[in-house]
This record gives sequence, structure tokens and C-alpha cells, in this order.
Amino acid sequence: MHIIEVNSVSKKYELSANKGAVSLKNGIKNLLTKEEKEIFWAVNDVSFALNRGDKLGIVGSNGAGKSTLLKILSKITKPTSGEIHVRGKVASLLEVGTGFHPELTGRENIFLNGAILGMSKHEIKSQFDEIVDFAGEQISRFLDTPVKRYSSGMYVRLGFAISAHLNPEILIVDEVLAVGDADFQKKSLGKMREVAANDKTILFVSHNLTAVANLCNKTLHLEKGRVKQFGETGEVLSNYMAALQTNRLEQNFESFDSAPGSQQIRLKRATLIPELLEGQTYLDIRNKINISIEFWNTEDKQQLNVSLHLFASTGECIFNVGTLPGNFGVGLVQASLEIPGHFLNDGTYHISFMVVKDKSIVLYNFEEVFNFEIADFREDTTWYGKWPGYVRPVFPFPIRQLSDSI
Amino acid sequence: MNLIQQKFKEISSDWELLVILAKRDISVRYKQTILGLSWAIVKPVATMLVFLFAYKQVAKIQDISGYPIQLVIFSGILFWNYFANSLQAISNSILVNSNLISKVYFPRLIICFSSIAVSLVDFLVGLAVYIILALSLHQSISLYIFLLPVALFITSLFALGFGLIFASFSVKYRDVQQIIPLIVQYGFFATPIVYTTKQLSEKSWFLYYNILNPLAGLVEMFRACLINQYDLLTAQNVSISIIASVLVFILGIFIFDKREDSFVDYL
Repeated sequence: MHIIEVNSVSKKYELSANKGAVSLKNGIKNLLTKEEKEIFWAVNDVSFALNRGDKLGIVGSNGAGKSTLLKILSKITKPTSGEIHVRGKVASLLEVGTGFHPELTGRENIFLNGAILGMSKHEIKSQFDEIVDFAGEQISRFLDTPVKRYSSGMYVRLGFAISAHLNPEILIVDEVLAVGDADFQKKSLGKMREVAANDKTILFVSHNLTAVANLCNKTLHLEKGRVKQFGETGEVLSNYMAALQTNRLEQNFESFDSAPGSQQIRLKRATLIPELLEGQTYLDIRNKINISIEFWNTEDKQQLNVSLHLFASTGECIFNVGTLPGNFGVGLVQASLEIPGHFLNDGTYHISFMVVKDKSIVLYNFEEVFNFEIADFREDTTWYGKWPGYVRPVFPFPIRQLSDSI
Repeated sequence: MNLIQQKFKEISSDWELLVILAKRDISVRYKQTILGLSWAIVKPVATMLVFLFAYKQVAKIQDISGYPIQLVIFSGILFWNYFANSLQAISNSILVNSNLISKVYFPRLIICFSSIAVSLVDFLVGLAVYIILALSLHQSISLYIFLLPVALFITSLFALGFGLIFASFSVKYRDVQQIIPLIVQYGFFATPIVYTTKQLSEKSWFLYYNILNPLAGLVEMFRACLINQYDLLTAQNVSISIIASVLVFILGIFIFDKREDSFVDYL
């Protein structure tokens, strides 16, 4: 007997000029004119079934329909068509601290939020101390302060602490792990793993593929509202990553006239090629990356060098490397760079580079030439939160026992 | 009828949530306003004083029905405030709690029912003021006061019925919200709040008036429960008001049930 059965569920939204709520006047006008509406299927013919104890990871790019699917499964919204059978008590955590009222104290909000999430008063009372304990020492001191005076970190910690003490048969979680500081994330993930260890059924939407890989036995990959793949996590994730990444990035311009650049400098070709290990289908933190840049130079006797910037998705520059300046004549010039493996952390990066004359005059800045993603890779680990930092070097770091007496 | 039964089952299974949401509204209301509790006293008293001034000083009316004018007006205002505040709270309940509704599932009716709580507390505070006022005027309280919960219940049904209809439509059509203050404003004068049915009962159209505005019977029910030997309430206007309230309530539940599934799509 499946605990959750989803049979060709679809959800349609009508996108009209005035989306969402309308005024009465427009409402009546719409009734009369039958204006043509653009139809958008947020979830389209999705089917899957889960057994008791299954942990399902739901992955997909933004707008793939993950959140809509979770809303349908938690009964918040009705599907346009299709059927869902859920056998058991469901708790859904689509955000942390749902229904927290800023004017109420931490204590009052624990009871309020707990009740909203489906806990009985008795359950909350019996777990109250544990919840406060889990939320941390800071919260316990401000338990009788209105939560509007809480820092956003405290707010999130209290919210998660309540959610962590829910005891449903089926738990639906949306990105709750992406909250709080690194310390608290570790704690949350630990709690998730504890929950995952027993025979609860979990549905879990996350962009943290490492967490999905480690927590979930099954994965559903959604793409534009449809099921791209549903099955064992390892298989689905490796296909998902392979599709997400382009293993070879290349920009190629046939003629000087169509190429980007300035009067003097035009880009001919730029490539980014990772050196994958055998059997690997996508780039992860272990791989070496080769970058090659070719550009046309139209002026003679030029002292040129190339300066390359690598940025994190947040916009910070991770590093800037430059070639040595050299003297070049008219024609094609090439620069190549090798980024070693075990250097960049997992994440999304982009690369820009500029051609510089006489060490100081920027002739042209080629922005965001490459945009690429590096996947995580871990062996022998029990911790799978996001590894902090932009770089992830493997420096020698020996540890040994010095003596056996204290 | 099955629908009503099913809805009540839903609500009673989540009774604790209803209570805690009601508590939230009450404690937020009394935490936010500086005057707090006194606001529930000042508002009806001020309204009464304004009308006493208008009647006695401007219009030179000393008596409107043979009962103490202060008590007639104050009991009317108590009734009206309860009805109007409930109606407004219920009508706005879905929009005000949109953050909850779009993130968690629970029977949606709960949020509408719990939104009455604040008006109920205000009413109880006002009732205490009424009793003090009556005693200070050397008037005894009607023995029928123990029937006040019944009158309150029927009024709540009427407010819920209308409120649910407005709540259902205001999610998609936001300007429905604008209509409610108008209803409250005109309704105050169209209903015997600062006068009584005595001035109307002789009119040939009184029966139609009673049917069109069931609140007329409800307010007289309140007065019969509060004012000693108040005899303007007739079996006819009681039954009309009760039937109308129940019908409006059923209609409200029915419309709400039809529309509640689409709320999230418009929030």
C-alpha cells in the first residue's frame, strides 16, 4: 500500500493582463467579453507513488513547479485535474515560522505556530522545553519578548525549532535548510537526518543536492511542470547534474566583424573544458579546468596582457590572475589558464577577462564570458551541509597523537 | 445539511487552532492599542453621548419608546458594534491572514469563525458598562439576560452568513472590501439602533421592513434581554429574524465552500 499516490496531477494558472485579484468592474467586464487568457501549466501530468518511510527529494530549476507541487500535496491548493491519495497525518513546512505574529512573545508564538502546524496543545506543552532548548540559549532569554524585537536569525531559529518537533507521519519540507547561520544549519541537518532515520515519509524540495543525495532514497526531477525523471536518487541526480552542466563551454566567432570587442581587440574563441575523471558525467570540485582565450589584435607593436577575473554567483571576485605582458603584432593571440582541481568550492561561478595595453590601459573587458557550475563531491562523510567558503583547497593538515599521558 | 454537518466536523476537529487564533487576535488587539481595554468602553459610551446630545439638546426629544433613552440607545449600540465588528472581521479574515492560508492547510472556516473573538470580548466589556449604567439609573436588569447568549448566537449566525459571502468574494474582487463600511454606516440608521420598532410597528410596510432587515428583530431581542419589561419584541419579528439568520448562514457556508479552494490562487 502506497502512503502517497499522485495520479496525473496538473495545475493550471490563467495569466491574464490583470493577474490575481481583480476589481469588480474588471470582473464583470471579463465575464462579458471572455477575454482570451494565456494558460500556464505550473504542474503538468505528474504521477508518482511513495511507500512508507521513503524520503523523496524534489529537484528542478526555478519555475519547474516544485513549490506548486508541494502546495498541492499539502492541500493548500487544489489541482486542476488528477488525484492524490495521502494516507497519514501530514505536516508541511513551506516556510519557517508560519503565522508568527510580531506583537506576540516568543512563548506565545510557540503555541500559535505549533497549533498552526497541527500540534495539539498537549504536544506543544510536553515538548516546550525541548523546543526552547533546541532554539538556543539566546531565545530562552528572550522568551517573553515580542518576536518583532528578535533578530532575523533568532526568528528563524525559533521557527525551525518548533518545526523540528513536529511528529507527523508525512513531512513536507521546502528549502527550510537554507536558513540560519552555518552552525544552525548543521544542527537542522542533523535533526533532519534523525527524522530521516525512522520510518517517517519525507518530501523535500532543495537546491542543496548534497543534502538530497544523502537524505533521500528517491528523487523526482521536475522540468517545466513535468516529470523529467523519477527514481533512485543516485541515478536521477547524476542525470540532473549532467543536464544542468555544460561540460564544455565554448564561444566561437567566425569573422572579425561579428565578434565582440573594440576596434583593436576582437574575441575569436574562448573555451572552458574540465578534465573529467573516468566515468564522471559532470564537473565537480575535484576536476581541473582548462581555459583558453584567442583574440585578434589589429595593431602592430603592442605590449599586451590578459587579466582574468573569476566571480562567485554573489558577485564577489574570487581571484584575478594576469598573464605576463608580451609584445605582439597584428594577428591572433592566445592565452591559456589552468585552474587546478581541489581549489574552487562547489557553486556557480562566472568568468570575465580583459585585454590590457602597457600594463594599465584596458582595451576591452569581456564580461561574463563563461558561466558554470561546480558540483560537490564527498566521500566518507556524515555531514552534508553546504561546505562553507569559496575555495576548498586540500592543504596538508596532519594530526597525530603526541603522547599518551595527560 | 450534509455540508453544514461536514463543516462543523472540520471545525470541531481543529478546535484548538480556532481557540489559539482567537486568543492571538485578542491579545494583539489589547497589546497594540494604548487605550487597550478602555477603547471598548469609550467607543459605545461616546456614541451614546453624541445621540443623547442630538436628541435632547438639538431635536428636543426626551423619550423614544417609554423606556430609559440611555438604555435603549446603549443596548442598541452594543448590539450594532458586535454585529458590525464581527461582519468586518469575518469579511476581511481571509485577506488579513493570507500569509497563513498560502502556507498551511487547515479548514479555512476556522479563520472566519475565530475572527469574531475580538468583537465578542468588546461586547462583554460593553455589557459590563451597560449594567453599571442601568444600575446608576436605578433600573433593574431584565430577568431574560440569561437568554442573551441565544440572541448573541443568532446575531453571530447572521454576521457569519454575510461575512462569509463577503470574504469569499473579496479574495478575488478586492473592492468588495469597500462595500462593507458603507453597509455598516447605512445599516446603523436603517436598523432601530438609536430608535426602536415602536415608531415603525404601526406602518403598513412594517412586515416587509422586518423581512428585508432581519437585524430589526435581532436588536429588539437584545433589548428584551437587557431592558426590564421590554415588550416591543413580538413573536413575529423574532421568528422572521431567526429564520433569516439561519438561511443567510447556510447560504454563506454554501458560497464559502464553493469558493474556498480558489482562495490561494488569488492571494
